[in-house]
Amino acid sequence: MIRFHKSQIIAFFSLAIWVLPNLVLALPSAAPADDAFERDIRPLLIQNCQKCHSDKKQQGGLRLDSRQALLKGGDTGPAIVPGNPNDSLLIQAVRHTADLKMPATKKLPDEQIAKLERWVAEGAYWPANQANTTTKADTKKHWAFQPVTNPPLPSVRDTAWPRNSIDQFILARMEAARLAPLPPAESRMLLRRVTYDLTGLPPTPEQQDQFAKDPSPEAYARVVDNLLSSRAYAEHWGRHWLDLVRYADTAGENSDHPLPHAWRYRNWVIDALQADMPYDQFIREQIAGDLLTAQSTGKEYASHIVATGYWAIARRFGHDIEKDQHLTLEDAIGTLGQGVLGLTLACARCHDHKYDPISMRDYYGLYGILASTKFSFPGCEPKQQPADLVSLISKAEQEQRLKPLDEKITKLEAQRKELAAKLDTLSGSNATKSKDSLKQLGTGVVAEGATVPLKGENLDSLPIKTGEALVLTIGPNGGYGADTTRLDWVIEEVLANGKAGRTWSLNDLLNDFHAANPHSDQLGNNNTWFLLANKGGYRLLPEKAANINSRSELLAWRLTDNPAVLINSSSQPVSVWTNLAPKSVFVHPGPDTPVAIAWRSPISANVRLRGSVTDAHPAALDGVSWKLEHQTSTLWTTELLAQTAVSKELADLDAKLNELKAEKNRVPVAFAVTEGKPADTRLHLRGDPEKPGEAVPRKNLDILGGQKVANAQNSGRLDLANWLTSPANPLTARVMVNRLWQWHMGKGVVATPSDFGTRGTLPSHPELLDHLASRFMQSGWSLKAMHRLLVLSSTYRQQAVPSDNTNLFIGHIRRRLTAEEIRDSLLAATGELDMVPGEGHPFPPESSWSFTQHGPFAADYPTNKRAVFQMQKRNRRDRFLALFDGADPNATTASREATTVPTQALYFLNDPFIRARVAGLEKKLATQPDDGSRLDLACQLLYSRNASENDTQDLADFLAAYPPMAKTQAWRGWLAVMLAANEVLYVD
Amino acid sequence: MWTNQPNRRQTLRSMVAASPLMAGILQPMLTRGESPSSDSLAPKAPHFTPRAKRVIFLFMTGGVSHVDTFDPKPKLTADVGKEVKFDHPEIKDRPGYERIFLKKPQWTFRPDPATGIEVSDLFPHVRSQMSDIALVRSMHTDHSNHYNATLGMHTGSFAFARPSIGSWLSYGLGTENSNLPSFVVIAPAQTYAGTQVYASDFLPGAHQGTLVAPGAEPVANVRPALPADQQQAQLRALEKLGRRHLANRANDPALTARIRSFQTAFGMQMAVPEAFDLTRETDNTLNLYGLGRGQTNGFGWQCLVARRLVERGVRFVELIDTGSSGNWDSHGDMMDHERLAKNVDRPIAGLLRDLKNRGMLEDTLVVWTTEFGRTPFNNTADAKGREHHNWAFSSWLAGAGVKGGTIHGATDEHGMRAQDNKVHVHDFHATILHLMGFDHERLTYRHAGRDYRLTDVSGDVVKPILA
Repeated sequence: MIRFHKSQIIAFFSLAIWVLPNLVLALPSAAPADDAFERDIRPLLIQNCQKCHSDKKQQGGLRLDSRQALLKGGDTGPAIVPGNPNDSLLIQAVRHTADLKMPATKKLPDEQIAKLERWVAEGAYWPANQANTTTKADTKKHWAFQPVTNPPLPSVRDTAWPRNSIDQFILARMEAARLAPLPPAESRMLLRRVTYDLTGLPPTPEQQDQFAKDPSPEAYARVVDNLLSSRAYAEHWGRHWLDLVRYADTAGENSDHPLPHAWRYRNWVIDALQADMPYDQFIREQIAGDLLTAQSTGKEYASHIVATGYWAIARRFGHDIEKDQHLTLEDAIGTLGQGVLGLTLACARCHDHKYDPISMRDYYGLYGILASTKFSFPGCEPKQQPADLVSLISKAEQEQRLKPLDEKITKLEAQRKELAAKLDTLSGSNATKSKDSLKQLGTGVVAEGATVPLKGENLDSLPIKTGEALVLTIGPNGGYGADTTRLDWVIEEVLANGKAGRTWSLNDLLNDFHAANPHSDQLGNNNTWFLLANKGGYRLLPEKAANINSRSELLAWRLTDNPAVLINSSSQPVSVWTNLAPKSVFVHPGPDTPVAIAWRSPISANVRLRGSVTDAHPAALDGVSWKLEHQTSTLWTTELLAQTAVSKELADLDAKLNELKAEKNRVPVAFAVTEGKPADTRLHLRGDPEKPGEAVPRKNLDILGGQKVANAQNSGRLDLANWLTSPANPLTARVMVNRLWQWHMGKGVVATPSDFGTRGTLPSHPELLDHLASRFMQSGWSLKAMHRLLVLSSTYRQQAVPSDNTNLFIGHIRRRLTAEEIRDSLLAATGELDMVPGEGHPFPPESSWSFTQHGPFAADYPTNKRAVFQMQKRNRRDRFLALFDGADPNATTASREATTVPTQALYFLNDPFIRARVAGLEKKLATQPDDGSRLDLACQLLYSRNASENDTQDLADFLAAYPPMAKTQAWRGWLAVMLAANEVLYVD
Repeated sequence: MWTNQPNRRQTLRSMVAASPLMAGILQPMLTRGESPSSDSLAPKAPHFTPRAKRVIFLFMTGGVSHVDTFDPKPKLTADVGKEVKFDHPEIKDRPGYERIFLKKPQWTFRPDPATGIEVSDLFPHVRSQMSDIALVRSMHTDHSNHYNATLGMHTGSFAFARPSIGSWLSYGLGTENSNLPSFVVIAPAQTYAGTQVYASDFLPGAHQGTLVAPGAEPVANVRPALPADQQQAQLRALEKLGRRHLANRANDPALTARIRSFQTAFGMQMAVPEAFDLTRETDNTLNLYGLGRGQTNGFGWQCLVARRLVERGVRFVELIDTGSSGNWDSHGDMMDHERLAKNVDRPIAGLLRDLKNRGMLEDTLVVWTTEFGRTPFNNTADAKGREHHNWAFSSWLAGAGVKGGTIHGATDEHGMRAQDNKVHVHDFHATILHLMGFDHERLTYRHAGRDYRLTDVSGDVVKPILA
């Protein structure tokens, strides 16, 4: 076997050009030629020639801004003769050897002349996709729009090397170029490579051991099968898909609202990949899952709904996001086009696509489909709460589920009616009986936001007997509704000497507020404080309510919502609908039901009353009225107590009813889409929704058939799902197999994986691409079958191709781990990675949201789960992901960069995360008996191999050279070195 | 972010001098011929000879009122209380804004004695520097929302995330000092649109802005976690491991680049704190910026650090004065502008003077702007605040290539609309790129099938303000 060099690769190229004439288009015009033209030739022509020879000026009748123009030439004839620099006027002119000397002012540097010469010699390649060189009719002939073929397998001389069909395509081309494959990768390297590629994690020491001990030829295939069936596989490949669909847990509008339900879609992707859902179905469910639900129930129904989260997670824009919905739809169309079809559809929002056969009509044909779709609403600054979330239970099931609940509710409500009538009678008769014994002490009105002291007769010394009561009633002021009202009330026994004796205060209520109504006092007397509603007679407030407005400090006794007695039990003010002072008692009357607090006197004595009434909700415009009365009949409280049994029964019943009603509403929801109002849309002239043009029917792209939506009563998403996944669609399968190739080998057969249009690069191996695409469809669109084909091939199993040698993919290109792989691997090495799948994030409850562009959502929720489960914000990017080239959740990402910058090195040197992993590794190794086994395990965990003699020597040298200190500390230093090594960060 | 390249030997060597140890490690690497083309931060020449080599971009968050600062409108004062009618985006359909009235500016405008240019008493120190400043009074932008307008002023895009202007310049020029980032953002808090205002988006990640938060440790992870002798011993071992790993991997440049990145990181641990260390600045200099000795916050600190960074080769330094709250967004009371102007006026003037004293204003461009202006009107004649206004605002440029003492453009008599020689955000960007040696139509990047540029599909260089 021969290892080849760059020169050989160049030889391969030039050979291939001439040897394989049917590939002439494919090879030279692949990425390198395109790049070379854009790098060397075009700028040269622009800077030196086009000022006088382009659309603005054509001196000598010559233009130098397209290949055709060069061939046509000017007054003195063609500017170039492709393949023959010496006969090309352009070359003669730039050499300054003939009469014509160009540029006239200054001769080009020799190296630039050489570049032009080479360019002409090699055929004067000009990207075939320039607008001024092609017409739209030509672009329809573009390779990617032609039907997928199933080319025959090429024959090869070395029949021993190919393991499967892929290898035959690769080897045939190598042999034609007189190249040989690289030697196979060492088995431990291969294990590391395939484990990372399939799961994003390194092989465990046990997996390494097992593989090393299994000599059978099927050992590798077995490893692959095990990896493919693991959850880790789906999590890693789910991340690839989530990159494409720019998944995030926030909406991205000005205040970056959280998406608490988006995780269901994220996990749906992972589940689908684990189950090897056929790719066509995978697409169909995401595009139109809700329309595929007719026959499904239960989990399947829910799963179909969740899948459409694909659309719902589109980015939101602006302040009031509904006003910028056209941008969200552009984002959705762009992501669909690039992700599924490899087409830059969003270019056609403002004008027909400049390079590809995609018109504005195509764009707005798809736009109409999405505009006819209702997206879940995430909330935004002017409208904080989410809306249009989609139920995960089908209508039929919902009815089925609700029927017994409704029956129970009807039954309980009948019972409730009887009890309520009974209570009405009791309280009504109590009111009648005790009417004459009720004496008013004082009354008044509290203006908006004011505090008024209690005033009235004898408040300084009021004679009262045991069992009599003082009643403080708060009602609406003049029938205008009512406010939250703070009460302060102290009752003191006046002793004979005029001094104060026993004291009662409303603050008695703060002590175990929910214990009972009537509430005890601090002196141990039960039934002292009565919390009451006046509804044709006083009755006890029956219902305990906790967590008012999601604030655990707030507790209430109430009758339905209001009237209520409410306390803030904490020593901090609580800001809800109004600011509630700490350790205070509030009442809130109902609209026509005053609320009262009565104190039943446990003594016979003279008492002094002090207190005040405060309108605690100054913004509510109307204030309250108050009344203080002395009930001199001791029967009144006795009869109130007699209500207790009925009242409690009623309260229990209400609690049951509330629970049943809550159960009715307790429907799991998804952030997803449903059908909206189906309608065609008008073109937005120059992309401006304010400038409507002609109406466009909802339709497929012309290049894919141009069919209209079959039934105008539907949005057309189901049609779209079918168009996308039709076996006749030339793009969907090709784009996906190219991605699989890219994610395994490091570079796609088409090097621009999300652009298969005329501006994208041409496939380097067109037959291979079609072979893969047709095989993919034949396999029932099985991703796992394609993974197997790829990773079991001899092509994949070669030694790694250096990372700079990406001009020619002939195997697995050495790559740096992605941000997620780095983090997960280091946590895995120390045993700290939590492999339990993540679900939702601990976002604050929706009711509390008040995010603004001044104070956007900005929380972090650190976790040791796999990185795919980390919460991702759109407007506040994660620092670690940004540092190591993570995907930007604002736009579709087809391939990760791998930049190398010193701030990454600083991270490895000094960041607390790395320091903690070093400490974790040290702890993990502590159980090993000696240095040798410690080193072995460290090598297995970090490098996926056993320690070699070199490692032992390196360690010894390190310890010897390290500043003198305790051995454990020196070891920690060594582990920091190992953890930062290239061998950890790169996969061969 | 920044990478290191062997063709930038000088900077590396100067750093190496500080550490005899590193010389031994670096020397063999420096002599190896490694292709610089893989380094997106290698210094690159612009399209034509630039007037400016670096930019200090001062961004005032929240929307500075033009009619109260740089755009005197006597007619507005004269017509105060007059009802006006406009289909203004900010108040359209807003309850309580059915009727609107002109509102008087609250600060006196005075001419700068040298140039006669009138600036209000909010900026007395900047006023005294007008001979170095070209003032644009006819700025306008596309959006009246903070988020969109802020994104637009930074990226030329008012909705979608795109590379920041600092990223574009880093992409176009690379960096002069591999020990420091090419693009630094110094901000006490995130502004509107968060990290997007300094993100590189589709440009290589090396061009994203490095965020510096004022304080004792402004850049993450530059403080060595270990004593120097331990760290050096570790780096030596890491180098050895790296070289061995490299040996049978055909000198893969990605691997060598990462080995080198540790050496640069080691250097940065010294270079970065040195750049932020103000102890060697004289009292006079500190005074210029209104800075107390030992102080590590405030806009004066930001300005002085900016000067030190550009001195050390950073291409683009952006200073953001406040975060997304408590800023110039004076809806409630315009008097709040006083506090905000006081925070920046003297430091900005100090920065201009300091750059000039050092001869650095010759090739340093200083840009002052905000996301939009504020309405010359409100819903009552005596309303205390002003609303968002994207039809007109003022910005200025100073220093390299800029014709000082000029006023460009004008708004109408009430400061309502940019009227003469209007300058859109794209024109403003085109001008900055021009001063840096770029044709804004040719500084492009191919992404998703399209050649993107900072100025989208428009933008004209504002030639009258060029020296």
